Amino acid sequence: MEERRTMQQSPPGETERKVAVRLSGVTKSFGDFAAVDDVSLDIYEGEFFSLLGPSGCGKTTTLRMIAGFEEPTAGEISVAGQQVQGVPPYKRPVNTVFQSYAIFPHLDVFDNVAFGLKRAGVKGDELRRRVTKACGMVQLAGYEKRRPNMLSGGQQQRVALARALVNRPKVLLLDEPLGALDLKLRKELQLELRTLQEEVGITFVYVTHDQEEALTMSDRIAVMNEGKVQQVADPATLYERPRNRFVAGFIGQTNVISGKVESVNGDRVLIKTAAGAEIEAIAHEEVRVEVGAEAHLAVRPEKLRFGNSGDNVFAAEVRQIVYLGASTQYIMKLADGGRLIVYQQNAHDATVNAAVGDEAQVSCDATNCLVLGG
Amino acid sequence: MAAGSAPKGMCRISDRMLLLVAGLIYLFLYAPIAIVIFFSFNSAKSTQNFAGFSTKWYGELLRDQTILDAFYNSLFVGVAATAIATVIGTLTALALSRNEFRGKTFADSGIYAATVMPEIVVGVSLLVFFVAAGVGLGITTIVIAHVAFTISFVTIVVRARLSGMDRSIEEAAQDLGANPVQTFLRVTLPLILPGVMAGALLAFTLSFDDFVITFFVSGVGSSTLPLKIYSMLKFGVTPVINALSTVVVLVTLVIILGASRFLGRDEAREVRRATEE
Ligand SMILES: Nc1ncnc2c1ncn2[C@@H]1O[C@H](COP(=O)(O)OP(=O)(O)OP(=O)(O)O)[C@@H](O)[C@H]1O
Ligand SMILES: [Mg+2]
Repeated sequence: MEERRTMQQSPPGETERKVAVRLSGVTKSFGDFAAVDDVSLDIYEGEFFSLLGPSGCGKTTTLRMIAGFEEPTAGEISVAGQQVQGVPPYKRPVNTVFQSYAIFPHLDVFDNVAFGLKRAGVKGDELRRRVTKACGMVQLAGYEKRRPNMLSGGQQQRVALARALVNRPKVLLLDEPLGALDLKLRKELQLELRTLQEEVGITFVYVTHDQEEALTMSDRIAVMNEGKVQQVADPATLYERPRNRFVAGFIGQTNVISGKVESVNGDRVLIKTAAGAEIEAIAHEEVRVEVGAEAHLAVRPEKLRFGNSGDNVFAAEVRQIVYLGASTQYIMKLADGGRLIVYQQNAHDATVNAAVGDEAQVSCDATNCLVLGG
Repeated sequence: MAAGSAPKGMCRISDRMLLLVAGLIYLFLYAPIAIVIFFSFNSAKSTQNFAGFSTKWYGELLRDQTILDAFYNSLFVGVAATAIATVIGTLTALALSRNEFRGKTFADSGIYAATVMPEIVVGVSLLVFFVAAGVGLGITTIVIAHVAFTISFVTIVVRARLSGMDRSIEEAAQDLGANPVQTFLRVTLPLILPGVMAGALLAFTLSFDDFVITFFVSGVGSSTLPLKIYSMLKFGVTPVINALSTVVVLVTLVIILGASRFLGRDEAREVRRATEE
């Protein structure tokens, strides 16, 4: 348990790593409204860190405070160990890739990429060498003399990336950089970005509202909602051990079942639903449970299986069957009216042959039923 | 087929009608000017009967020192007022588009209102103001007056340009290490320059052509071209006046054509809106 906790707080494999960006108690209010509410985060050097959350949850605002375009109403931010309060954006060791790309329309690709280096006093051969190298790195070699209006969306995205990376910032901030691209290009660039990040070893703080994107790219993810950080963890932990209802629902699909706590025995919890069914579940140490209190538990659809071989057995009626290729989704109705979604792999030995309207039993193990925190 | 062709035929007729009307409007707009230009090349002194082609009235223009003085005055006032109004107007546009403050809507409509203010009112109030302030009338007061009434035009044109600009472009410049001055010089100014140029050219033509306001604020002995034409009219319409008018039309036309090269669609619409009185 102790070991797991450290794993949750620092990236896997290493316990002592340098902090690249630290937010402590950062709040940003616009009038009465707290867009970012008491956020504390440690982002480590060389990490691919994502801020994930629904629209309007304060991701961009958080990023803009790190970049220096907004000053926090309360709290402190440090970048590479330096407090950055009051430091203007042009003096911070971070660079940003804007969602709208914000390419300088009056400059060609070369001058766009060279912009930051020129401000830093880099000239002549070194300038040319570094710009050319950066263009090559994002597959834009040969495009140096192109005007931005003659570039595709994907190419503009690459210019924005090269223009930021060429300065070798301590931290690169990316605000939904792939948001405007079509799905195929998005997938391609996701891989490219991740590979690039590993090559250059620069800390990436990546904003997205797409959970799949965050899961595939990130070392760690901070899930945000309504200005607050809900959970910070690596993708597997987020998926397997969501801390609360919001995270469980936002990351992947899940079944949430509500009831009252009957008894607690170590991390084992017995929950009784309104319909009278008793469900055995586990509560991780960060989740508080009290006997008699209302509790919600989450079961992932793929942890449920047909039959009665598990700790918890549910009787339900098959309402809908959706064939998804590698798996099949069964939408079931519980006796108390609740809905249960079950995924079954279409493996070579698949044995399920339920039809719509059938009464069936599905079950799961107690270890796959997680009690959720508030 | 038959049903389809009938409306098509009707369409063609109404299209032709429209063309005809449009043609008449153009005639109405430009025929008087064309006649003025035409008779400026008349060899006889008449402004009714064309006797033959001649450029002697243009020669006359160059020999009349008072006309040349008026021309230089107009040029000087135009250049000076344009320079000042362009700087102030551009800064105003930047201030209005960058900041949220109380009474901003009011300030905004104030800019538009200034462009449709009756010239006679502006002229009279400036005159009263100069007299009250004890400023002697002359070239200086003309320049000040022209600055005052052209600023809002520059502001409107530059604002239109700014409103089409993505704010994050300037943030990107700052993000890449450009301080506010560098950001302005290397990013903002190049991007709004077409608007600034168009605003400046517009200001110049407005100043160069202005009669009413100038009439009130010019002292004795400091005449601009429009004032000179007016005073010459007291002795009847002469071919010299035609020649002089032709010069004014040409200068204005060249500059407006220049401005429209700089104007994007947005700015052109704003200018049209601003000048529709
Ligand atoms: N300058 C501002 N003035 C007032 N409210 C603001 C301002 N900037 C952001 N907000 C509000 O703060 C909240 C968070 O905005 P933010 O842009 O950080 O969201 P986001 O998580 O990036 O959302 P999205 O995914 O839609 O980009 C929103 O409700 C927004 O309306
Ligand atoms: Mg955002």
